[in-house]
Amino acid sequence: MSEPVLTGVRVLEVGGNLSVAFAAKWLAGFGADVVRIDPDSESLTPDEQVYLLAGKRRVSASFAVESLALAADIIIEGDQLGSFHRRVNPAVLRRKKPAIVVVSITPYGQDGPYAANQATNITSFAMGGIMSLTGMPQREPLVTGGSQALYLGGINAFGAAVAAYLGSLVHGEGDWVDISIQECMAGMLELYGPGAAYNGAASLRSGNHVRASWGIYPCADGFAGVCALERQIPAFFKVVGDPELDEPRFRDVTQRAENDDELQAKLYGWFAEHTKAEILDLGAKYKVPFGAVMTPNDLLGNASLAERHFFDAIATPEGTAMVPGRPFLGLPWVPGELHRPGADTEQVMAEWLGEMS
Amino acid sequence: MKKLPLEGIRVADLTMMWAGPFATRVLAEMGAEVIKIESPRAWDNIRTLIPLPGNPEPWNSSWYFNDYNRDKKSLTLDLAQALGKQAFLKLVAKCDVVIENYRADVLDNLGLGYAILQAAKPDIILVSMAGYGKTGPERDQVGFGPIIEQMSGLASMTGYGDDGVPMKTGLSYGDPVAGKAAAAAVALALIQRRKTGEGTFIDLGQREVMSTLIGEAFVAASLRNEQPVHRGDRDALYFAQGAYRCAGDEQWLAISLRTPGEWRSLCKTVDLEEELSSVPKEARLEEIDRRLSAALTDRDPQETLELLARAGIPAGRVLNTLDIHNDPHLDARGFWVELPHPNMTAWKQPRSAWQLREAKPAPRRHAPLFGEHNTEILRDLLGLTAAEIAELERSEVISSAPINPGVG
Repeated sequence: MSEPVLTGVRVLEVGGNLSVAFAAKWLAGFGADVVRIDPDSESLTPDEQVYLLAGKRRVSASFAVESLALAADIIIEGDQLGSFHRRVNPAVLRRKKPAIVVVSITPYGQDGPYAANQATNITSFAMGGIMSLTGMPQREPLVTGGSQALYLGGINAFGAAVAAYLGSLVHGEGDWVDISIQECMAGMLELYGPGAAYNGAASLRSGNHVRASWGIYPCADGFAGVCALERQIPAFFKVVGDPELDEPRFRDVTQRAENDDELQAKLYGWFAEHTKAEILDLGAKYKVPFGAVMTPNDLLGNASLAERHFFDAIATPEGTAMVPGRPFLGLPWVPGELHRPGADTEQVMAEWLGEMS
Repeated sequence: MKKLPLEGIRVADLTMMWAGPFATRVLAEMGAEVIKIESPRAWDNIRTLIPLPGNPEPWNSSWYFNDYNRDKKSLTLDLAQALGKQAFLKLVAKCDVVIENYRADVLDNLGLGYAILQAAKPDIILVSMAGYGKTGPERDQVGFGPIIEQMSGLASMTGYGDDGVPMKTGLSYGDPVAGKAAAAAVALALIQRRKTGEGTFIDLGQREVMSTLIGEAFVAASLRNEQPVHRGDRDALYFAQGAYRCAGDEQWLAISLRTPGEWRSLCKTVDLEEELSSVPKEARLEEIDRRLSAALTDRDPQETLELLARAGIPAGRVLNTLDIHNDPHLDARGFWVELPHPNMTAWKQPRSAWQLREAKPAPRRHAPLFGEHNTEILRDLLGLTAAEIAELERSEVISSAPINPGVG
């Protein structure tokens, strides 16, 4: 296997929030030399630090941020309050070093009336439109688990960073990438976004059932789900095996919509009698899109993920943590180790700035 | 004009539905020439999933299809026929990237696996984005976005918390997340090709990408055997947090109070009694919820959002799918773009979230009509003669309209 694709690429991570740390984590995994300037006050939880900081060198060197920035090929930063931009203006930096790529990740982007508004994961999730679609219709809108808005900022920043870096290699010039977390979400509203834009009517949350054949049900040992398109309905009904499902009121797409409650009741019954494993087996056998609600603990023992070497082992003072590793196969990936805060200050100063201690 | 990063890159796009077309929309936004390939018999289902009533060409008039396939070219090719396969491999020889999101076995069953593509173009990059990847015992599972969300661990972490029910995100969340990762994979693979002269086969399992967005939950599970907790709209790290109904139909504000200071500041801003009578955290959170619900129920959500923003309190409107198209901030940023379309009135479409401030990616053209670029690609790019193209038409390898338009 060849060396990792980003070997020799210098990445400076500034600001330290989750979005920034996630984008830089993937750059590190694909071989970049990622140097994180540790923030004065750490905003990542201890578990997030284990997941997001492995493979990065860590410096306590905010005093040297200007020179480190000039020495970098890519900067990933999440400064909304101006403390970084007052010292390193990305526009000026771009003029000084035309090949450099600067990626700024903020809740609302670099300009516009909300640019300085404070935000958290839930407020970003709300302003991005997905929250209005999530949760039960008779209850309050629900934020999806974890820190999805922040991760979406990170995954978009990673992609844009790599694209802009490719542009720098090919065309000779980098760019300043302005990632707004709100925009990352507002542009991924499936059919609901363009539907509302075209028809002038909003879609609202539909809980766990968009319709009976598209949702999550309690099953014998937890929760499982089905998402059947029209072309998969015959196979799905065959698996369920209820003779009434052959009747036009369920077979015909229009009549089925009118009898959705009745179909849902039947499916509650069917799912309750089957385990997750049985349902998944039937899905593979009959090509019906079935799923099961798996916990992270379940997945740590999942045979596919084990065979595909998905998890990275990270040594921590508490023991070995198993964390999601490479996002895809096909390019070499380096799991990396955890470094202590500030542990690499001297070495990085020497290597990046040629300063001897 | 500064060049976009992927200018000069040509992509043969076999993807359908949402995850794949979302990835290739990003590639097109970044400057690539994306050629979308569909069979006259089995086209992208999204074209006809929600037909416009009364439109004579529903496959060319779908806002859903158009939103995710703009800036691409359309070539019809039946890959199940020898002539279709032949033309496809000729095209591959002139492409940098092939991308597909079929079920794991489909491309190989078509006789178009990576080795065959490499024979046509030695440095080709192939991106496959099956639900569970190309290998492993789950590779035959069929997966759409909500299924991926369940199988990734994420759905187990979402819920109101008082009923034990895991909840799905209100859209096919696995799709766009995998799409963004796939677009990034293409850019990375192009960097690799530039360094080594070699192509690569990217095997992207959509479920795996989704799991990377909850990495800290795997740390908790593997180190301390912790099970997911449904936290509703709260956040254990903050003083209080929730979503509160405002005046109007289904209008809500999400508010985070990270510290007691932000609670005090909020109370001053919306004229609320600051003192809390409850001491245990859970009771205190419920008291805050009650007070905020009462205080906000008659307030205008936009005015209140702006008021809280000025007070430095994190707040966000739970923008619904219509209101988000009228959000003043997105409007000021030029996020929504209207593109003319021959069969439809224009509507607001999102521009790229990858805002390269200098190269300025922007939507250029509506999604292609069915087979719109057949001649341009077959004759001008691949050099097929008029007789050869006529033969493809006669044998229904290509077509300018679906052959069996009732079935999507």
